[in-house]
Amino acid sequence: MNDDKRSASLAGAGKLSGGDYTRVSISGAGKVTGDIKAEALRISGAGKVEGRAEAIQITVSGSGAFGGEVVADEMRVSGATRIDGMARVKELKCSGSYRVRESIVSEYVKVSGVLRAGGDVEADLLKTSGGFEIEGLLSADKIEIRPGGRCYAKEIGGAKIDVRRGGYRERGILLDGLVRMFSGKGTAELRSTVIEGDEIHLEDTIADVVRGTRVEIGPGCRIKTVEYSEELQIHPNAEVGKQQKV
Amino acid sequence: MDDDRYISKKEVLEQMGISYGQLYRWKRKGLIPEAWFTRRSTFTGQETFFPRDKILERIRQIKEMKGDHPLDDLADVITQQVNAKLQVAFERLRRLQWFDDSVLETCSIDRERSKPLTIKETLCVAVVSQLRKAARAEELDLVHRTLHERLDEGLLDRIGEERLRLHLLRKRLSGGGISAEISLVVIGPEKLILDPEIERVEDVDLGHMLERIKLDLANEAEGGSPDEAPERETEDER
Repeated sequence: MNDDKRSASLAGAGKLSGGDYTRVSISGAGKVTGDIKAEALRISGAGKVEGRAEAIQITVSGSGAFGGEVVADEMRVSGATRIDGMARVKELKCSGSYRVRESIVSEYVKVSGVLRAGGDVEADLLKTSGGFEIEGLLSADKIEIRPGGRCYAKEIGGAKIDVRRGGYRERGILLDGLVRMFSGKGTAELRSTVIEGDEIHLEDTIADVVRGTRVEIGPGCRIKTVEYSEELQIHPNAEVGKQQKV
Repeated sequence: MDDDRYISKKEVLEQMGISYGQLYRWKRKGLIPEAWFTRRSTFTGQETFFPRDKILERIRQIKEMKGDHPLDDLADVITQQVNAKLQVAFERLRRLQWFDDSVLETCSIDRERSKPLTIKETLCVAVVSQLRKAARAEELDLVHRTLHERLDEGLLDRIGEERLRLHLLRKRLSGGGISAEISLVVIGPEKLILDPEIERVEDVDLGHMLERIKLDLANEAEGGSPDEAPERETEDER
């Protein structure tokens, strides 16, 4: 094998062997056998990478499937993406559906579609306006959730956690339909077992325990226990089982 | 959990004067190992507990050093520090003749090497050292290979939780006037149920060993001498 970098474009149904590339574009039903490294990887048809994928930029606007770990500086998804490994993506923007079997390690995550992770989701800043299902810990310095469908994370932790109504109500009908399709009946709420942060504002949230320094429990919340160290406000349309200043 | 060795997340934040944001950030940066997080149900709901000494010491370290290093580098810096401490211990252990050259050879460690030992290598050395009187050379090699491979697969995190021990066993097979003996190395719980023909040569409490190594590392001042590897009868009949 020579080390010269190549560009490749698959337009019909084709196969591409893994390796080092500059630009790879899959617009038909294409498959990459093995690991791939590229500057830019673009999937607009039904593309599949059987191994690990590493790129500066990855764009998926059709359906993309990845058999292994995905590493990228930037990943934009407007179609459906499935990753059977971990996603290490510095900047992740998803307006379609994004399913990761393991964890997502990122700096900036923006989801307006649907996100699923079998493990944890980590970022510095995370904004969602669609739905999500996270089997592990959702952790970021700043978490902004506008439930636009069913939202679930087993645990949530960070400095600032802000959950407010909004989500799909503010978006177009098309995306709304997509989100409803993926997330079920369109109940826009957040569920979690434990939510911990320094500044917490919650609306439409159902949780067992909320722990924080300054906590605001807004309308539509059902929380079994709230523990706070400085300040607690509870909206009249919220249910809180037990509150405790620690 | 009213166990003194553990501390709840709330107490950690309070005692160390840090925020949830900081704790979660440090966790994301790999500064606090996942294995230290233990989730328990308490009367207020699910809570996270940490090994008290470890977490307090680690947070002190992070707080002390985060002014001088960007957070992303801190994980490397802290592991390097731990490694540097290990090297100190290595030199001291050598001076105390806790192990000899043959042990290093078995563990394929260059005795002139300048690179610090990892905690895994140190554990290998310690276990082989402890067994060197009772075990034969090829058994020591088997012990080393077993530990080495398994430690690379995450055994280290399980040792404390599962109270694992390393057992060295022998079994004699005879028939038709020929007899042979095979050696087995098993890493498992303290009480193994074995067939009556298996002879236990020796076993090592891996958790205890790890603690001893760490204790020795924490005890940087000279004089905290680790006790000699205990003597055991050699069962070397052929």
